[in-house]
Amino acid sequence: MKIAAVIPAYNEGDRAGKVVEDALQYVDMVIVVDDGSSDDTAAIAKKAGAIVLSHIQNCGAGAATMTGIEAARQLGADCIVTLDADEQHSPEDIPALLAPIQSDEADIVFANRFGQKNRIPFIRRFFNSIGNMITFAATGKWVSDSQCGFKVFGPKAAMQVNLRMSGYEFCTEIVRECAQHHWRTAQVPAKVVYSEYTLAKGQSFANGVKTALRILLRSFLR
Amino acid sequence: MQFTAYQIVTPLISFIAVTYAWNLVLRQRKTIWEAILWSMFWGTIAYIALFPDALDYLTAATGIKDRENAVVVTFLGIISFILFYLIIRIEEMEQRQTRVIRKLALKDLDKK
Repeated sequence: MKIAAVIPAYNEGDRAGKVVEDALQYVDMVIVVDDGSSDDTAAIAKKAGAIVLSHIQNCGAGAATMTGIEAARQLGADCIVTLDADEQHSPEDIPALLAPIQSDEADIVFANRFGQKNRIPFIRRFFNSIGNMITFAATGKWVSDSQCGFKVFGPKAAMQVNLRMSGYEFCTEIVRECAQHHWRTAQVPAKVVYSEYTLAKGQSFANGVKTALRILLRSFLR
Repeated sequence: MQFTAYQIVTPLISFIAVTYAWNLVLRQRKTIWEAILWSMFWGTIAYIALFPDALDYLTAATGIKDRENAVVVTFLGIISFILFYLIIRIEEMEQRQTRVIRKLALKDLDKK
C-alpha cells in the first residue's frame, strides 16, 4: 500500500520542516501544499524532503488539502494521511491511524484529540463541541472530533473524496462525504500539542460563526 | 372545502422540490439527511399554504396582520432569496478560482 501524507501549509516556515521530516518516517511520500505563503514555507518543506506544490494565492485549508489529495492520487497513492503543518499533530500517531485501514475495518479514520488525556484549553473544547454539533446538524453523522485535520483516507475514500469547500468548513464536508458515500469510519485517540503559537493561530469567534453559517447554508442549498 | 390557486400551486411546487431532492439522493448528489431537512422545509410551506390558520399564532406574535406589514415581510423574503442567490454565485466563482489555482499547482507536479 502506497501511503502519502498531505500537509496544507500557510506561513509555516518555522514548523513545516520538522513535521515533514517526522512524517516521512511513517509514509512513502509527503506532499506539502504551500497555500500562497509569504514566507519560506515551500523552500523549507522541499529541503526536508517533501514534494511541494504551491498555490499562487491563499485559497484556504480545504482547497489546499484537496490539491494535495489530487496530487497524491496522481502519484499513485492508495492511502492518504492529512495533518496540520503547525506541529499540533504528532506523526507518531500515523501507524495507529493507519491500522483500521490496513485491517480493512474502515475507509476513513478520524483522529480524536479528546479520546485520550490531552491538555486542551476549555475554550477549544467548547468550540470543538459546537463544531461537532453543527456537523451533526448538517450531515446527520456524529464524529467525536469532526474538526480535527488529522485523518487517514483508505483506498476507497481517497479515490472518491471531492472537497468543494475552501476554508475550514472542509472538515464538515469530509463527514458529509462519509455519509454520502457510506464510508466505514473509525476514530482513533491521538495526541495533540497546543503551543502558544497554535493557540494564537486558532480561528477567531467571528470566523467560526462565518464557517458555521456557510456549512448550514451549503448543506441546505446543495 | 374550496382551494385558492395559491393553495394548489404551492403544494405542487413543494411536491416537485421534495421529489427533486430525493432524486438527487438517488443520484448520490445529496445525502439522505439533507433530503430530510429539505422535505421538512417544503412540507412546512405546503402545510401553511393548505392550512393558513396554522400561522395565526405567528401573526399574533409578530403583528403581520395588516397589509403594510405583509408587504414588508414579503419584500424581506424576496431580499433573502436574492441574498441566497448572490451567496451561491459568489461561492461558485470562488470554487472556479480555486480550481484554476489548483490546476496551476498540479501543472508543477507534472514537470517534477
